[in-house]
Amino acid sequence: MAKANRLEIADASVDNSSAFAFHGASGLETTPPSNKLRWLFLGVCGFLLALLAASGFIAIRFLGEIHAQELRVTHTLAERAQLLSDLLLSVQTYNQAVQQVLTQAKVDREQTARGRIDALAFEIDSDLKQYPVARDSLEAALVEGIQDVFSQQRTLYISVIATPPDDRQRRAQPAVDEYMIRIQSQMVDYSSRLKAWNGERLQFADQELALEFGSVRAGLKTALTVGFGSGFLLVMAGMAYIVRLERQTHKRYLQLAQSQREMQQLSARLVDVQEDERRTISRELHDEVGQALGALLVDVGRLSTELSDERPEVRTQLDNIKSIAERTFHEVRNIALLLRPSMLDDLGLVAALEWQGREVSRRSDIEVEVQSDIASDTLPDEYRICIYRLVQEALRNAVRHSGAKNAKVTVQQSANSIRVQVTDDGRGFNPTYTRGLGILGMEERVKRLGGTLNVDSGVDHGVTLTAELPIPSEQHLT
Amino acid sequence: MTKTRVVLADDHTLIRAGLRMVVDAQPDLTVVGEADDGRDAVAIAETLRPDVIVMDIGMPSLNGIEACRQIREKLPETQVVMLSMHSDEGYVLRALKAGAKAYLLKDSAEADLARAIRAVAAGKSFFSPAVGKVLLEDYMRKLQRTGAEDSYDLLSPREREILQLVAEGNSSKDIANLLELSVYTVDTHRAKIMQKLNLHGIPELILYAVRKGVVS
Repeated sequence: MAKANRLEIADASVDNSSAFAFHGASGLETTPPSNKLRWLFLGVCGFLLALLAASGFIAIRFLGEIHAQELRVTHTLAERAQLLSDLLLSVQTYNQAVQQVLTQAKVDREQTARGRIDALAFEIDSDLKQYPVARDSLEAALVEGIQDVFSQQRTLYISVIATPPDDRQRRAQPAVDEYMIRIQSQMVDYSSRLKAWNGERLQFADQELALEFGSVRAGLKTALTVGFGSGFLLVMAGMAYIVRLERQTHKRYLQLAQSQREMQQLSARLVDVQEDERRTISRELHDEVGQALGALLVDVGRLSTELSDERPEVRTQLDNIKSIAERTFHEVRNIALLLRPSMLDDLGLVAALEWQGREVSRRSDIEVEVQSDIASDTLPDEYRICIYRLVQEALRNAVRHSGAKNAKVTVQQSANSIRVQVTDDGRGFNPTYTRGLGILGMEERVKRLGGTLNVDSGVDHGVTLTAELPIPSEQHLT
Repeated sequence: MTKTRVVLADDHTLIRAGLRMVVDAQPDLTVVGEADDGRDAVAIAETLRPDVIVMDIGMPSLNGIEACRQIREKLPETQVVMLSMHSDEGYVLRALKAGAKAYLLKDSAEADLARAIRAVAAGKSFFSPAVGKVLLEDYMRKLQRTGAEDSYDLLSPREREILQLVAEGNSSKDIANLLELSVYTVDTHRAKIMQKLNLHGIPELILYAVRKGVVS
């Protein structure tokens, strides 16, 4: 029965390992993250940043320009309005002065009045010349019109002056009345048209600005749309990529965990198989070879006693045969014991550990002390063999590497666990760096039974190896 | 004269055949039965009630030590000679604790078997010389390495004498008769020996005596 079960387990594990191989192959098929994607991502990011910087720069510069232009337009407008009102004021003053000359017939004052009128006329002329006009524009025509009207006025005034003062009132008044009003209304007309033209110009400048603003806004809008669009795409692509990577990682993790589990199962099985094999070979050696040799020894011994007196030369040969058989017998026994300590079966764990301690003491320079307080030796076989091999390996390490003089093996049983400790007073090692196959094997055995192994050592501190094994519950119950 | 009736218990037919020849060759001994595992040995012992059972220590179904314990419990008159491949004290002590009086190594079985059977039949102990040698070596090595004192030196000549007699299988009463002492005095000596040698029980005392070569 037991054999059949074992075979089934073997089959199952073969299935497992083939499944594992398949997983491994499919794992390799998934594409590794490529370099190209990284560069693409970097490129798009760079492009986005450049776009953002350019848009910002253009917007700021444009705002500055608009501000400057607006200032310029307002400035020129204010200047023109000022000039125009100055002009109109001067013309008015001029007209008043002319009226004065006309109405005052006193000759003594005429000279000064004339001087003033001439100065005013000069001032108006220079004002008109100063007025900034755009070439070939309506403004130029209007300013020219004003100049024209003013020169008509001046002609009129000169003709009035030319008449003698006494006669002036009578002769000039009608002309003045007739022309002056017309000229003045013309003047007002021109100046108002000039004002209107100025207003139009302002409007025109505003429109122009609005137009320019519109085009820049459209540009910025395009840039932002492109930026946002590609940014959005980038984020989506990035997210998709991250999700894919996460999935892959998760899958890999599962595969890894799975393969780790399988490795552990495999190594556990290896330990099992090894123990089984050893036990079989040991049993075979002990039962077949050992017993045959034992029987041989008995027979040869009996023969040699029987023949002792009659044939001394045959007896010598028989003794020779006997000693060879004895040596072989011991060899076979030792090999069998190494493979599977029959003490475990015959006497139980504690005796087997004590025997091993004595064996090591006999064969090496280390004196081994074994202390055990296991009450009943009813542990399941896998526990006994685990503890036995653990101690065997620990003592073997101590003999080989430590140079220790004493070693101590303690086995303590508590309510639900067994604690095995092997200590030596040798030179020790650093367990962080040195972890031989022996310790790995021990760890493997202990882990299989759900226990923990702790190796505590330092240079010149000896080695303390502690294993803690939980006792199975059914064992606990019985 | 009545022959000593012997049962052989060993799971190997070849060995049993060899042992049988050795035993049957002796005029005062006779093999009355054979068993091929521990359970069988207990059953046959109960039916045949032999004087001596020669038992292999490692047998299937019920090992020799356990079978020995059961037989000694049920049949105090039947003595057991333990056959073993191992001269280790773990085996010897457990065999003694199980009630065996003699401990033979298989490789020297043929030479010592008859003597061992006769010894246990007479209520004495017997051990293969090699066993005592190995035990002594272990003991001496341990003393040397740990620097401990040989507790045997602590014993008085009278105590050594009594140690030997106890180990050989004599009761306090026998010893008292032999040495012309009171049973009480013998018991006091025994307790003192146990205390000085830090021993617990007769099996440990016998083992100690074997180790020191006091008995063989």
